[in-house]
Amino acid sequence: MKIEFIQENENFAKFILKDSSITFANSWRRAMKSYVPTMAVDYIDVYLNTSFLYDEILAHRIGLIPLKTNLEKYNPQEKCVCNGEGCPNCQVSLRLNVEGPKVVYSGDFISEDPEIVPVFEDIPIVELYKDQQLMIEAVARLGTGKEHAKFQPVSLCSYKIIPKIEIERGKCNLCKRCIEVCPRDVFGVEDEDIKVERILDCSFCLECVKACDEKAITVLETNNFLFTIEGLGQLPIRVVMKKALEVLKEKAEEMNRILEAV
Amino acid sequence: MFPIRCFTCGSLIGNKWERYKELLKMKTPKEALDELNIKRYCCRRMFLTHKSVIEEFAKFHGAVG
Repeated sequence: MKIEFIQENENFAKFILKDSSITFANSWRRAMKSYVPTMAVDYIDVYLNTSFLYDEILAHRIGLIPLKTNLEKYNPQEKCVCNGEGCPNCQVSLRLNVEGPKVVYSGDFISEDPEIVPVFEDIPIVELYKDQQLMIEAVARLGTGKEHAKFQPVSLCSYKIIPKIEIERGKCNLCKRCIEVCPRDVFGVEDEDIKVERILDCSFCLECVKACDEKAITVLETNNFLFTIEGLGQLPIRVVMKKALEVLKEKAEEMNRILEAV
Repeated sequence: MFPIRCFTCGSLIGNKWERYKELLKMKTPKEALDELNIKRYCCRRMFLTHKSVIEEFAKFHGAVG
């Protein structure tokens, strides 16, 4: 197994996973989506809310704000020494105390821990008009995407099989129908010959196979996968990838132990 | 208020709303969305079809209660 990055920055990655299997690719994708813990606001205490939005709507909106996460510093609540009651090792409180007229942004939250702050400071939460006031304490904790989508560290995480397109030179009569018919513009002409130029764009539609009267084209599946991941900023993409693999390893080891005990 | 995340794909869009409003003063919605790097049509429709209800409420602010 090998990984080759095509495009990468802190919140976006496109890479090829080589010589793997579809089971591994899919379990990795699912682990990245639903088993990597991140911080998000779990519940809020509303002391005063005279805005136009209900408390529940505010709670929902605040919950969706991504928070920068430090996985070393905090424990998941069910594994914490406090047995899930909530202590400084597993939760952070963010305070919000504002008065209108003003648009309240995510950057207005004052966090107990300067490391756990909203990733973006310019997310509008609610617009306050004259004489309206908000006093809120939001409590954030670690959670996984399995529990609620707000804990997901990635907004888009997908893979596709990279195909292998073979053109039989003996049969091909250079009619160029495959070039016309391909919706993703995969083929190109080079030295009076049809070449596969943009293999990563191919979507397995098999239009070229149908269009070829000489039956010269075959499209095969390979064991290479093209991953596209878009992060939300709570954790860098590489950390998400690594953490997902750690979780998978842990689960596999647990399965081994169960099998041995049977 | 403008939604924080896209209803369909869950990517963050709330942080781009203020910049989108600024860009609309000089540009068409298409150019603004392209500049903000919003690629998928699920996220794009969130911007194009948004209507702020809180502003409608605000017209009656102080009139009742």
